[in-house]
Amino acid sequence: MTELAAMEFHPEPQAGEARPWAFPAPTRGTLDNGVTVLRCHRPGQQVVAVEVLLDAPLDAEPAGLDGVATIMARAFSEGTDKYSAEEFAAELERCGATLDAHADHPGVRLSLEVPASRLPKSLGLLADALRAPAFADSEVERLVRNRLDEIPHELANPSRRAAKELSKELFPAGSRMSRPRQGTEDTVENIDSAAVRAFYEKHVRPATATAVVVGDLTGIDLDALLGETVGAWTGSSAQPRPVPPVTADDTGRVVIVDRPGAVQTQLLIGRVGVDRHDRVWPAQVLGTYCLGGTLTSRLDRVLREEKGYTYGVRAFGQVLRSAPDGSGAGMLAISGSVDTPNTGPALQDLWTVLRTLAADGLTDAERDVAVQNLVGVAPLKYETAAAVAGTLADQVEQYLPDDYQATLYRELAATGTVEATAAAVRAFPVDRLVTVLVGDAAQIKEPVEALGIGQVTVVSAE
Amino acid sequence: MPMGHTATDQAGTGGLTATEHRLANGLRVVLSEDHLTPVAAVCLWYDVGSRHEVKGRTGLAHLFEHLMFQGSGQVQGNGHFEKVQGAGGSLNGTTSFERTNYFETMPTHQLELALWLEADRMGSLLAALDDESMENQRDVVKNERRQRYDNVPYGTAFEKLTALAYPEGHPYHHTPIGSMADLDAATLDDARAFFRTYYAPNNAVLSVVGDIDPEQTLAWVERYFGSIPAHEGKPAPRDGGLPEIIGEQLREIVEEEVPARALMAAYRLPHDGTRACDAADLALTVLGGGESSRLYNRLVRRDRTAVAAGFGLLRLAGAPSLGWLDVKTSGDVEVPVIEAAIDEELARFAAEGPTAEEMERAQAQLEREWLDRLGTVAGRADELCRYAVLFGDPQLALTAVGRVLEVTAEEVQEVAKARLRPDNRAVLVYEPTVPTETVEEPTEDLESAATVEATDENEEAAK
Repeated sequence: MTELAAMEFHPEPQAGEARPWAFPAPTRGTLDNGVTVLRCHRPGQQVVAVEVLLDAPLDAEPAGLDGVATIMARAFSEGTDKYSAEEFAAELERCGATLDAHADHPGVRLSLEVPASRLPKSLGLLADALRAPAFADSEVERLVRNRLDEIPHELANPSRRAAKELSKELFPAGSRMSRPRQGTEDTVENIDSAAVRAFYEKHVRPATATAVVVGDLTGIDLDALLGETVGAWTGSSAQPRPVPPVTADDTGRVVIVDRPGAVQTQLLIGRVGVDRHDRVWPAQVLGTYCLGGTLTSRLDRVLREEKGYTYGVRAFGQVLRSAPDGSGAGMLAISGSVDTPNTGPALQDLWTVLRTLAADGLTDAERDVAVQNLVGVAPLKYETAAAVAGTLADQVEQYLPDDYQATLYRELAATGTVEATAAAVRAFPVDRLVTVLVGDAAQIKEPVEALGIGQVTVVSAE
Repeated sequence: MPMGHTATDQAGTGGLTATEHRLANGLRVVLSEDHLTPVAAVCLWYDVGSRHEVKGRTGLAHLFEHLMFQGSGQVQGNGHFEKVQGAGGSLNGTTSFERTNYFETMPTHQLELALWLEADRMGSLLAALDDESMENQRDVVKNERRQRYDNVPYGTAFEKLTALAYPEGHPYHHTPIGSMADLDAATLDDARAFFRTYYAPNNAVLSVVGDIDPEQTLAWVERYFGSIPAHEGKPAPRDGGLPEIIGEQLREIVEEEVPARALMAAYRLPHDGTRACDAADLALTVLGGGESSRLYNRLVRRDRTAVAAGFGLLRLAGAPSLGWLDVKTSGDVEVPVIEAAIDEELARFAAEGPTAEEMERAQAQLEREWLDRLGTVAGRADELCRYAVLFGDPQLALTAVGRVLEVTAEEVQEVAKARLRPDNRAVLVYEPTVPTETVEEPTEDLESAATVEATDENEEAAK
């Protein structure tokens, strides 16, 4: 190769000396009205991130009104006692701000991002939205119609469709977790402004709210600013809501959601496991990364880089809902898309990877690379204010101490190969996985049945 | 050491500065210091994209980009990924119409490794390139195409609009993902020839941004890249020039199994790098850039005929830029109702121009987007390369936001009047084949639709 001869090669360089970095420690305080505040100064981060957590979990939604928390979250940015919906959106955008809100099992979350120079004005708007939302009949009605329009779309999207089916399979029918987070056609159409206001009055108050503020706060008197804005919100005190226990049926089985003609099969293979209160969490993070955290993990090494069946398959664990006593739960899953003709072979390989892991365990080299990556990427993962604010808010939402993430990095570094293997094998036992396949049943059912990974049933996509 | 560089005086905005250098082999290097976080970003832009592809080989630039992760002279197999990730870094590569980029973000003390790796594949990829990786990555890319475009509702809309907006034979007529038939037809020899033609130090810009020592960094760059020979012979891409106005309304009706009727359109807009392009960006933001935009207020809030309505801008330097309108209908609303309302709003905007308050909002939004992009070392490295490759001057990245803020309401009105007209658009109408209720499809980010990546790092898939 002439190309080779032309270049002078040098040995691979050795790493220099690492510069210290630690996950930022927030300062915690409480406003006079009871709002918990976490703040964190991040020099140079000109776009400030504010996260507000409201103790309005999905299990608090009244029977038959699934989706009311979502509509309420969206309605926060549709007008206040000072501004109409159009005016409110205009004022926010005039600040160069974005405001997102969504409802999930642990509660409702609002996320504001804004250039530091316009934080005061946008924080005023956010406080107005919390303190005096308009919830006008016509705006709520529009949001409800909008939400109804979204539902068939979600059914048409393979990964959303798979997630919906997995929740339905895993959790008992009476559990809120078995049903779509944002409601179904039957429940959303029952929602009106009175229902939204009732939910707001019952579950949204400063005493159970938390605000996280992260960014370059140079020259900002945050105490005064918070006092004038979020601090001016009043409300009654309340006892924390009890967290319902999570139960799930992870008997190994397969559900095919039939999409005739689909060129790929969407895989979602999951079960329920522990949350971050469990001592196994760091080892589980490590083991799950080795199994399917990236392109060089075991699953992609075979399914993508050897066989070419997929653009990528990932294994992950995420918290579903935590409780103060540590009785919460997380979701463990493997997800990706494979081409239709190779669905059977891809699943066979996937199960072989899991069985091999259980039989032979991880290698020390795999564990070392995983630790180096998971710990090493922290400074780049948390470069922006939004990333830091999101993690701090997750910790509060999951009843974890403010130094949880910093501690997690130390624990990851101290976790050995044997523990990581045990955690990964316990997280993904071959006979306790619920497999959802969104694809062409006529083509994939027989090959999947032949694998013996559980009873196969076919359901309609609609 | 011989360095033949031309350092530029520090100049910039927001306290950011960059210096420029050039190796003897033609590799341009841009450095920018920032010691707030112990990380450093390496970004390498090759001046080659899908516009350089020839008939029958669409998708080759992107397929080739995947092959750049399959090992090189001193790196085995997936070593590029393994070594960077094992060093606590992250990496990826993407391909678009006008360029291919590769980037690593590293903890400061691992910067040298990233430079060594990029140099190794720039200088010696062909030592490792074989049939096995070619066949494997061909399958991976075909599955990428299925996952991102063919197996999702409206997934091929961008490809269809592009084909309408840029005529047959135009270098931007096809998108970077390419066609299945062409992906099947690509050979190992095609890949080798592609590397020999386009992957040369004198066809690339390297930027290094973050917690760096510039002198040490330049010494490393010289050590690892300096001996890679330059080579000429890169053919110029076919001319992307087109008349300012399409001159007629192009139209395609798509009957597909989608959940809602949709109206999409591509407007031909000024080239990136011009003040008129910044003015067009502001015009599209006022009209369709958020939940206080004119089209959102009209269609979603007042008429309630649409579930989502928005405008996006695909900035292009070698061909006219593209303004992408995306509206999904609500309920049983017919497309002509939407289209009439849009035409009315666009005509009114062209006649009246933006209000002072609309200008303030649009400029504030674009300013925040710039702060976001320049707020990470990786974002800054990418923008420095972009301005160096496309416009010959990386410093323009640091002053870009200032230029957007200088544009006047009159200039915004002028570009709207000249370009946002029915005879300057290609229209794509979706009619569902199965009668179902209509729904929203979240508008896909235009940059994302126009870019294809080496790997899909989406861990939130099940959420």
